[in-house]
Amino acid sequence: MNTQNSSQSISRRNMLRTSGVLAASGVVLAACGSSKPTVTRIGESPTTLKLDDVAVTDIVLLRTAMSVETMVSGLLGDSAVIGLADPKVAPVIASFASAHIAHLEEIRPLIAARGGKAFEETNEKLMQSYGQTALDLVKEGKVAADALALTHALETLVAGTYQYFVSLTVEPGLRASMMRLGVKASRRAAIAAQLIRGGTAAFAPANDDAGVPLVSTLPSAFGSLSAVQVALGPVTETGSRNTILMDTPSLNSLIY
Amino acid sequence: MDTHQVESPNSHSTSRRQLIASLLAGGAAVVAAPMLAGRASAEGATDAPHRDPADNATLNAGLERETRMAATYRIAVASASGDDNKAALSLILDHHVAYAQAIHGYLATKVITPSSAPLASPSGSFAQIAVQLASLEDETTNIHIDSLAAIKGLDASTLIASIVTVEARHAAALTLVAGATPIIAAGN
Repeated sequence: MNTQNSSQSISRRNMLRTSGVLAASGVVLAACGSSKPTVTRIGESPTTLKLDDVAVTDIVLLRTAMSVETMVSGLLGDSAVIGLADPKVAPVIASFASAHIAHLEEIRPLIAARGGKAFEETNEKLMQSYGQTALDLVKEGKVAADALALTHALETLVAGTYQYFVSLTVEPGLRASMMRLGVKASRRAAIAAQLIRGGTAAFAPANDDAGVPLVSTLPSAFGSLSAVQVALGPVTETGSRNTILMDTPSLNSLIY
Repeated sequence: MDTHQVESPNSHSTSRRQLIASLLAGGAAVVAAPMLAGRASAEGATDAPHRDPADNATLNAGLERETRMAATYRIAVASASGDDNKAALSLILDHHVAYAQAIHGYLATKVITPSSAPLASPSGSFAQIAVQLASLEDETTNIHIDSLAAIKGLDASTLIASIVTVEARHAAALTLVAGATPIIAAGN
């Protein structure tokens, strides 16, 4: 008995032709795909502002250093801070504020020598992030000890800023110049720590009876780049005080 | 401002079209990845080398300085009176030992065995000892900062920067406990 198979066998030509059509169809379908989101949004969403395409240069770092020095000078020299401090301590804080103005004088020629333009204003981003809040808390709390606590935190922040900038600076000579400024802030941080808690017993890190860390003059062997924490202002309903975290400048707070 | 998102009732299960589109998009992402990676790493980075063999001599000099500082503090700890004072000097001694170990670790096989001779023999009252040590700390800080101007490698520069910032604290604190006023001790 002859059996006639009516179905056609798949030839190589047919297979290639079918595959080509499928691939072409896939591309056309993908191109025609709807761009409508499958998730419906209700309400308004904030617009994301993309940062400008800018580079972190040595001049940018120096301009940012100026903005930080200006900010710290302004905060330490604020009449609310100086006026709140113990009369024996107030002149020390005032001299620290002046020292940051002196730093500006040292940075300006470094910028000019590299063809940049000095930045004479405060760092608005950092002021918004924590500077203004810290100042407001000091004013609100009216706690004399806050003047020194803020001083200690800000000097530690400046020292950390220069230390961090070394890792971003291209020119070796400029790294040295930055650290000459950084170690001055570091010295002032140590003095502020000693004025808060004095004597050689306060050199090493320690906790109080409740286990709360005390201010120490030498908190670590190597300079830390973590956020500087400081408790400021009035005691809240929960019995604690507001803690401010101060970070060194980063990509969104550099002065380009 | 609150933003709420709800699931759309007409969401589709994965279709062939979406699958193909995803594959094409995935392919495009793979192709673009090296370019995007290069762009991201360029932000905040510098063109400076991370390590440079030319820095080894400067770092070996820094290692020797730290080793000799540690030897000096061992004498100071033995000479000092008072538990708190001894503990404070022991803490700084530990710091200098840590600095020497860090630089030693960085140099690894390129270490030239440093001198361990003390830089001084601090003696007298604690205030006198503190003054001598503060002076040595100042010298050490300046030596390291000067070396930063010569060091090309970023990693070594970062290490030295993390050391000098604390050595400046050593100097200021020792100057203050030796009896200087806060403004003088701060170097203002």
